[in-house]
Amino acid sequence: MSILDLQKPVSRIAEERRLPGGERELTVDVRTQDVEINMGPQHPATHGVMKVLLRADGEVCTGAQPHLGFLHRCAEKIGEKLEWLQFLPYTDRYDYLAAMNNNHGYSLAVEKVLGIEVPRRAQMLRTICVELNRIGSHLIAFGTYGLDLGAFTPFLYMFREREWMMALFEKICGARLTYSYLRIGGVYNDAPPGWLSELERFCDVFDAKWVEYRDLLMLNKIFVQRTANVGIVPPAMALDFGLTGPLLRGSGVDFDLRRDLPYELYGEIARDGAFTVPFGTGEKGTVGDCWDRTYVRVMEMREAVKIVRWCLDHIAPGPIIADLPKVLKMPPGQAYVGIENPRGELGHFVISDGGRVPVRVRVRGPSFTNVAVLEAILPGSFIADVIAILGSIDVVMGETDR
Amino acid sequence: MDCKGIQDRLLAIGAPGLIGIDLPREPDPKDKKDKGRTGEPFLLVDAQSLPAFLTACRDDPELDFALLVDLTAADPAATAPELWVHVQLLSHTKRHRLAVRCAVPKATPSMPTSARVYRSAQWHEREAMEMFGIEFVGHPDPRHVLLPDDWVGHPLRKDYVYPEEYHGISCK
Repeated sequence: MSILDLQKPVSRIAEERRLPGGERELTVDVRTQDVEINMGPQHPATHGVMKVLLRADGEVCTGAQPHLGFLHRCAEKIGEKLEWLQFLPYTDRYDYLAAMNNNHGYSLAVEKVLGIEVPRRAQMLRTICVELNRIGSHLIAFGTYGLDLGAFTPFLYMFREREWMMALFEKICGARLTYSYLRIGGVYNDAPPGWLSELERFCDVFDAKWVEYRDLLMLNKIFVQRTANVGIVPPAMALDFGLTGPLLRGSGVDFDLRRDLPYELYGEIARDGAFTVPFGTGEKGTVGDCWDRTYVRVMEMREAVKIVRWCLDHIAPGPIIADLPKVLKMPPGQAYVGIENPRGELGHFVISDGGRVPVRVRVRGPSFTNVAVLEAILPGSFIADVIAILGSIDVVMGETDR
Repeated sequence: MDCKGIQDRLLAIGAPGLIGIDLPREPDPKDKKDKGRTGEPFLLVDAQSLPAFLTACRDDPELDFALLVDLTAADPAATAPELWVHVQLLSHTKRHRLAVRCAVPKATPSMPTSARVYRSAQWHEREAMEMFGIEFVGHPDPRHVLLPDDWVGHPLRKDYVYPEEYHGISCK
């Protein structure tokens, strides 16, 4: 049935009884008329320009239909018009909160078709930047989630740490949001003097601050009450919908691409046991509720710091980029590379026919698949919880629409 | 399991529609025009039996592909007679991936939907539908997902003609 099929108001007499005085007392069961609400495109809780067409029966949401495409910028079509190296800056712009991770995914896919080896120091710097960016992205996700639920202060604290992270990125590549730092074959710039020691200081400070975030928001009683047992995604549903990343782990599935299908240095790091994979256990409510997803994100930030520390222990001088020509001569071939983006599996699928430009650059954004689950979990929840569920999905609209 | 092992397993359980495997290869030294192929191996599957093939991949306990990660299409060239549909599967328990390619003729780009096998295919198919004009027969919700409802043409086709204007807005 379409969401537009509005139900007619129905009332029926549920109970009828005679009072001692002879009067009749009726209990009437009133069915209210369904109301359609356009949530968005401009709504602070949709974290970008998304519209969710909600159908509400009083306080209860009975249907939901996400509408995307407001931010569609034809990234895949542009990819077919540009040379391989020229597409890299565009990758910054779909998931703008985790631009390093996007650079990483695209570079790995092109490198796989090229069959080249990335220098070890470059891999170290890549891993550091990607994990730092994961921290930054989760800080935003967690901070704005608090904001959605009415907790304004934690958001400001989290932007403080993110500011430092962006200052670190500015020092190494000159940009604060769209880095294009991870290039095909390596990285663009070596760490400037003192950068690694400042990074170490960041790790120390962050470890101390992390405890504050946990106590201030994640274990906050009001926050727990707003998120526990809300928006439950059972594991089977998560797999069916193709959810990945914190959503899949929040549903209790212990799967992380960095550990289970490792790429670059992650195999080595996982063998060393430098990080663990947190997953939802239903500690405050049910497995797969909003609180579990938040828990996974908060725990992942600390794991990311551990990975950065591992890299700081193992980094050694060396070249930072492989020797590549200005115009890449790509052999014919195709590769799909999925990496663990803060929001889930970011897949880059590239096809080359040996020409100057790609035949196809496909971006599989995790937000795009994750947002589809709204169709299944919003019906039956309260309108107030819609905000809590939307925030826990952590969508970046630049990535769903590309 | 690697792609070859997965193919052997699929042959053993008699998965419908499996045509063959495409492996990376070195350039042929005798043929100067041949540049070989790099990247990853993938399986070739008949487009009309893709849902049945995916069901076999999902339900076999040895393969256990619980996740359909991506479903997309590609137009190899403006003159190519067919479109390719690429599917990426992932097993979180067996920790392996599988890439699948189907071909549909450009003249009648139609194939059955996989949205009932994997729910995640629903939105990916909607995207492939609007971008490439492939009809997924039996799709539960065949609306546009990224493009406006009244958009003309299929932008990711190689022979796509760019519009002059859209509702009075110049696209030049």
